[in-house]
Amino acid sequence: MFTKKILLITSLLFIFIISNAQDIDDLMNEASNDVVNYTTATFKSTRMINGHSTETVKKKHLDFRISHRFGTVNTGISNFFGIDQSTIHLAFDYGINDRLTIGYGRSSYNKTYDLTLKYKLLQQSNGKKNMPISMTYYGSIEAFSRPFANTDRTNYFTSRLTFVNQFLIARKFNESLSLQLIPTIIHKNLTPTVFDMNDVFAIGIGGRYKLTNRMALTAEYYYAYHSKRSITEYNNPISIGIDIETGGHVFQIMLTNSSIMKEGGFIYGNDNGNIFNGDIHLGFNISRMFSFN
Amino acid sequence: MPKKQNVQIKKIRMKKIIGIILIASFLNSCYYDKEEILYPTTESKCNATNSDFTSVKITIQENCLSCHSNSSASTIGGSIKLEDYADVKNYAENGKLLGTIKHESAYSAMPKNGAKLNDCKISQIENWINSGTPNN
Repeated sequence: MFTKKILLITSLLFIFIISNAQDIDDLMNEASNDVVNYTTATFKSTRMINGHSTETVKKKHLDFRISHRFGTVNTGISNFFGIDQSTIHLAFDYGINDRLTIGYGRSSYNKTYDLTLKYKLLQQSNGKKNMPISMTYYGSIEAFSRPFANTDRTNYFTSRLTFVNQFLIARKFNESLSLQLIPTIIHKNLTPTVFDMNDVFAIGIGGRYKLTNRMALTAEYYYAYHSKRSITEYNNPISIGIDIETGGHVFQIMLTNSSIMKEGGFIYGNDNGNIFNGDIHLGFNISRMFSFN
Repeated sequence: MPKKQNVQIKKIRMKKIIGIILIASFLNSCYYDKEEILYPTTESKCNATNSDFTSVKITIQENCLSCHSNSSASTIGGSIKLEDYADVKNYAENGKLLGTIKHESAYSAMPKNGAKLNDCKISQIENWINSGTPNN
């Protein structure tokens, strides 16, 4: 079963690589150029929907983000289809240089604090230098500050921690279409039972299709591998959204089965809803860029 | 000129060292703890068959009363009180108590913004409701 899944993932990777080969003709034409043409704006924002994109914050810029996920739509009119409840995430991402971004955030889910680091390793380009993909490393430490349910036992600070490591690999195929592949490792220091794994491997796939100059359709899905013997119900996160760009702001509206906005929560998936039961959340991200130049 | 180059090389080296420290700090302090192994007594302490109101009350005190006590219900608890037996019995009988803690669809999942109660505690409450919500 496990080997089958690995085969599936590797074949997905191959499709990704093969589809790159189609552009060889274009690249050959441009190879004579003496300048390097870096591809810009693979994605509009540093987030796909819930997860990150390959984009980093520009040097000496601060990206202030406010994100909300409302309750589930199936709670009906008495809860105004979920809008009566909400989960919030605030994030400050600062660009030390064009490649390196550090971030700090606070989420109301489990009262979680997070520290993030993002480093752009490769930037898609053509001309003098050919690079078919953009690649960014993303690392994050999440610590929940909600008190432990059981105060009688000895609780350790390390039990609060979750670590996330991701490689975000993206390619802008043309002006409209960008796709992203996201191999992920999540480590949780404490899990409830022996069948709930501390290390979870996941692979994400996401994309953006530009509808107009200011609007784009986005979608995102992560597959996380959990032990089948676990009694915990894990649901993989699936989301669909729209990016709207208005001078200085990027506004993202989405429908998702996860109310959590941090990788250690929504990719791990123990608190995600089941979309087949109608556990769908409406949500939005607002991003405002401040310049310190 | 060579002095200037030296300074540049040192700067690059410093940057590399800072980079390595940053990455290392992200990979550090990993534990592989499992709650049922780390705290073997907690599971035996929760006994699903031992479903009297005294045990249910402890679970409610630990997980619900920070919002649903008589004093805070009107402000942050959506006017839902769970402090007294009569109130708990009321929500147990109309199905809302079980629906919310089991994260069933069409119910607002509880505890809000927190992890689901463990299965033992949920079945303890379920057994108490099935036995007719006795005040024991």
